[in-house]
Amino acid sequence: MTNLYHNRSAQWIVYALMFAFLAAIPLITNDSFLLNQFATYGVYGMLAVSISLSWGFGGILNLGQGIAFGLGAYGMGMTMQMQSQDPVSNPIPPFMLNNSLDHLPALWSPFQNTALGFILSLAVPTIFYVFFGSLMFRARVSGPFIAIMTLAMLTALYTLILDMQPYTNGANGIAPPAPLKLLGAEIDPYSVASYWIVYGALLFVTVASKLITQSKFGLVTQALRSDPERVRFLGYNVASYETIVYALSGLIAALAGCCLVMLVQYVSPAQLDVNFSIGMVIWAGIGGRFSLIGSMLGAFLIQGGQSYLGDQFLATWLLLLGGFFILVVRFLPKGLAGLLELSLGMIGAHMQPKDASRPQRGAEATSKAEA
Amino acid sequence: MPPSRLLKHKGRPRHAPDAQWRRGIGDVALGNSLSADIAPIANALILGLSIASIWLIAALGLAIIYGAIGVINMAHGEFIMLGAYTSYALQSFFGLPFLLCIPAAFIVVAFIGLLLERGLIRYLYKRPLDTLLATWGVSLVLTQLVRLTFGSDPKYIAVPEMFQSNVQLGFVNLSVLRIFVFALTIVLVAATAFLFYRTRFGMQVRAVMQNKEMAASFGINADRVYMLTFALGAGLAGVAGSLLGVLAIVLPTMGTAYVVQAFLVVVVGGGTILGSVVASGLTGEFQSVLAYVTNETFARFLLYLLIVVLLRFRPAGLFAPAKARR
Repeated sequence: MTNLYHNRSAQWIVYALMFAFLAAIPLITNDSFLLNQFATYGVYGMLAVSISLSWGFGGILNLGQGIAFGLGAYGMGMTMQMQSQDPVSNPIPPFMLNNSLDHLPALWSPFQNTALGFILSLAVPTIFYVFFGSLMFRARVSGPFIAIMTLAMLTALYTLILDMQPYTNGANGIAPPAPLKLLGAEIDPYSVASYWIVYGALLFVTVASKLITQSKFGLVTQALRSDPERVRFLGYNVASYETIVYALSGLIAALAGCCLVMLVQYVSPAQLDVNFSIGMVIWAGIGGRFSLIGSMLGAFLIQGGQSYLGDQFLATWLLLLGGFFILVVRFLPKGLAGLLELSLGMIGAHMQPKDASRPQRGAEATSKAEA
Repeated sequence: MPPSRLLKHKGRPRHAPDAQWRRGIGDVALGNSLSADIAPIANALILGLSIASIWLIAALGLAIIYGAIGVINMAHGEFIMLGAYTSYALQSFFGLPFLLCIPAAFIVVAFIGLLLERGLIRYLYKRPLDTLLATWGVSLVLTQLVRLTFGSDPKYIAVPEMFQSNVQLGFVNLSVLRIFVFALTIVLVAATAFLFYRTRFGMQVRAVMQNKEMAASFGINADRVYMLTFALGAGLAGVAGSLLGVLAIVLPTMGTAYVVQAFLVVVVGGGTILGSVVASGLTGEFQSVLAYVTNETFARFLLYLLIVVLLRFRPAGLFAPAKARR
């Protein structure tokens, strides 16, 4: 092990440290606004993990992650909206009355049941991704075309949601009047409880993704990222591997969408905005798409910078972000995590006795894909 | 410009360029009550042609850059925006007539494209996905630079006197401006096709497209061909910008409204000039006719869905080039 970066135990220690730090936040502060904001960053973290999984490990540059994120968010928004409607006395959300609907549309009726609503919020985007993904990957659409197709699909869905005013309240979005009720308890979005829910979701998503990338399945996806043709010749069904990794990333994004709506009690077509979806790719690109934690930290860094520096200098901030992103793409294709990999590798090579450095080279090359 | 239109634009800034196109389209009206059955359809078809010419002019530069170099230029929309701002600045600060602003926008934006190609794009030719990302970064930077320079408020390019009237064309009444845009689109496409298929430079571009190494061994400077092609594509985006700017309003974010549609035209067309012409014609007509049957937004949804399905069956577009891309 020349490079500490590729040491699995070291990687797990870093993950554990980060989650320990995140767990300490509610102990340090009980400012409810700050907790809510940090929980929102957790949502961005989940999105970054989902992008890293599909783009970094599966080689699928997905510019339309807002599809799953938005569908999940709308599912959650509808569930929360229906929680505050009474099935007998007041069955229809107010905005539908404004759009002259006199009965609850069939699209909405499953969301009267909270459990079913949750399941649908996660299942609909995932099934959509399975369907759309298998459509693309079976046709061997690859590289930039996937980016364009996902972008087109995202834009299509965005316009559809805008257009279906009576069902989605169009550009105004859905603002459930009350916080989410779970098992009889109301979850205040500004409470510690909601922070822990998002924390748990992020922890689960990260550990599961990390385990997936270290499994045999993850190894195959990394192989097909580098050379799909060769993997195909080895007898693997490339399309189904790609579909699965794409759908998994969609599932994570849908979960992130649910969490976001729980935190902000609002959902609008902005969740399917093209710039936001590409923003996710920028987080992962700057942080390091080949590293789950790198992408996540990229999301924290950029979103944090945006909220703390950006309020005063929004225009300058976006200018710097764009310039920095260009530099990263040009000089650091592996992002900031790649910089760490490089420097740890150099330290490792320095510590190594000179005669042993030669046979270690090959080992380093083979383990490179595991980051 | 009435304030209501402004608000409408601000509400849906990115994906609703149709709302901005109203300045011309609003003038398309029923000329004759005589044949009430054919007129709306004829109207929709002519409107479709008009939309197609706008999509085509927005996509032409992109098609050249993508078709010849294989670069997915996400900053294309911002090139369009720069063209619009160039025309606006030249017209309002230096009093240049609009017709001269068009070639000026070509030169300015082509020069910016040249700088971009030399400074960034040429290092990324071997990494197509990274060019996509880097040019997205470029688009962010350009948008912000323009916003810092000109502010976020909308600007207007004055319509020249001669384009302000309307013309009766069979059943429909069209503004001269839209006819001018349509005609100029045809001229530009013809000129580009001439350049690529009838000149020495065009032959060099096609040779490099087919096989870069082989072309280089015959003494063609592939680097220079890429550079000039990129600058040409950028310049065409500048022309598109000055035309779209006069049809609608000029905003720092106006580019994103066109870039997705331009991409769809290019991808459906397979990256060739003829393919783009056919693709923009088809998509423009589809959009217009579907909008006549349903409504504008739902029509766009259906159109995007159709394109995704089409790409499933023809991933390389309607007219795939004979040779595989690098």
